[in-house]
Amino acid sequence: MSLPDTIPLVSLVLTGRNDGYGGDFTSRFFRTLRFNHTQLRARGIAHEVVFVEWAPPPGNPLLADQIFDAIPDLDPGVCAWYVVDRRYQEALSLNPRLEYLEFPAKNVGVRRARGRFVLTSNCDVYLGRRVLEALESGRLAPRVLYRAPRHDIKLTVDQSSLDWAVLEDPRNLDGPAHVLKPPYMGSATGDFVLLDRDSFHEIRGFNEIYRGARIGIDRNVLVKALSSGLTIEDIGGPVYHVNHVGSYRVAPAAYAGREAEAPWGDRRWHASGVSYANPPTWGLSTAPQRQATDRVSYLDFSWEAVPPLVDLRRVVLPVARQGGPPPGQYVRKR
Amino acid sequence: MNRLLSAIFSMLGIVPARRYQALARQVNELKSGSADWKAKAAEAMNRVRTLEQEVRRQTQLAGRFKLAAEKADQKQTELDALQSRLEHAERELSGAREHLMVIEVKLDILEGAANVLDGRMRTAAPQRTGQTGVPA
Repeated sequence: MSLPDTIPLVSLVLTGRNDGYGGDFTSRFFRTLRFNHTQLRARGIAHEVVFVEWAPPPGNPLLADQIFDAIPDLDPGVCAWYVVDRRYQEALSLNPRLEYLEFPAKNVGVRRARGRFVLTSNCDVYLGRRVLEALESGRLAPRVLYRAPRHDIKLTVDQSSLDWAVLEDPRNLDGPAHVLKPPYMGSATGDFVLLDRDSFHEIRGFNEIYRGARIGIDRNVLVKALSSGLTIEDIGGPVYHVNHVGSYRVAPAAYAGREAEAPWGDRRWHASGVSYANPPTWGLSTAPQRQATDRVSYLDFSWEAVPPLVDLRRVVLPVARQGGPPPGQYVRKR
Repeated sequence: MNRLLSAIFSMLGIVPARRYQALARQVNELKSGSADWKAKAAEAMNRVRTLEQEVRRQTQLAGRFKLAAEKADQKQTELDALQSRLEHAERELSGAREHLMVIEVKLDILEGAANVLDGRMRTAAPQRTGQTGVPA
């Protein structure tokens, strides 16, 4: 994959696939990426877009084959696209109800990102002004995990023409704006985790050991961060998420009483109370990589690259740092 | 002349009426003063008795307070020990809960793996039908 030699300030790591998730995934993704790329470029923020097309369904065109036609302004030189063989989804799964292993997918991107800072987000999340200002100002510090609260935009808002006026209009908010609370600064963490690349590598990305749920893995990275001596800070402004059908945000209680059947996994798992130690091969780093075009690579399947189904010694107690908040808190599960 | 007469009367035990009256007044005043002093002395004695009673009462109270203070000190020591044991128990409980969470997560992983492997086996098993050696 030919990328510029210069190191970008920030790598925007996203993952998705052309499976119609949430009704019209592709359009939402293209709209969002166009907005974010335009804003980053307008402010002169050196960035790369690392996209992990995880386990694409057969028969549907790849996003990789559509994106540059859909967003002609998107500079291929700032894109790194990884298409991951769908057999990894099945081989890694610890819960057949989980159709998408979001965080192992993000780890593929984090592992390969080149930027000084790595921002993991989602395909329908718009970066807010304060976030862009923080990136532009160059005031980001190493060993600080930055969080941004998420503001949800109502389903009824016309999504075809989202701009600052629409995003920042309080009347378009679906419920009260989220406020981040220390020590975790959690809440919709998967939508915004910004950390310097070295620290992200030090903690070895998101939890790859517990693969029974998608929900809570994002919060679990905060436990890992605190346990590793990193600090967590609010970056100072929100990101915007446009609600859509099928979102956990829209129907968090849809599986009340039968949590184990939820497509995002059992939300009661102890995400706030345990930590993890991913293997050195995190992010499918040993998966055979085949360059398809100058901007798209395939990660071919190999059992050699698949971590063990069970690796219990890598589920560990979080470490309480002196002066820091206790990272663990017991929550009765059953 | 008057002085001479007064001296002669005085030698005879006779004093002028004016002087007699003055002396009588003095005697009366002294008698009256003596009664006052007696009353004051009685009052002072009463007060002494009251104060003595008060001292005895205060001494008893002090004794009781001392005992109570000693008991309180003892209770405080016991309370400190209990507090210390409670804090220790809380730490132990917190540690136990943390371990419990780790164990529950590990059980989740094991359960998930067992289910996945079960599914894989059931998928693979029909493909081997006919290879069992059991006549159809």
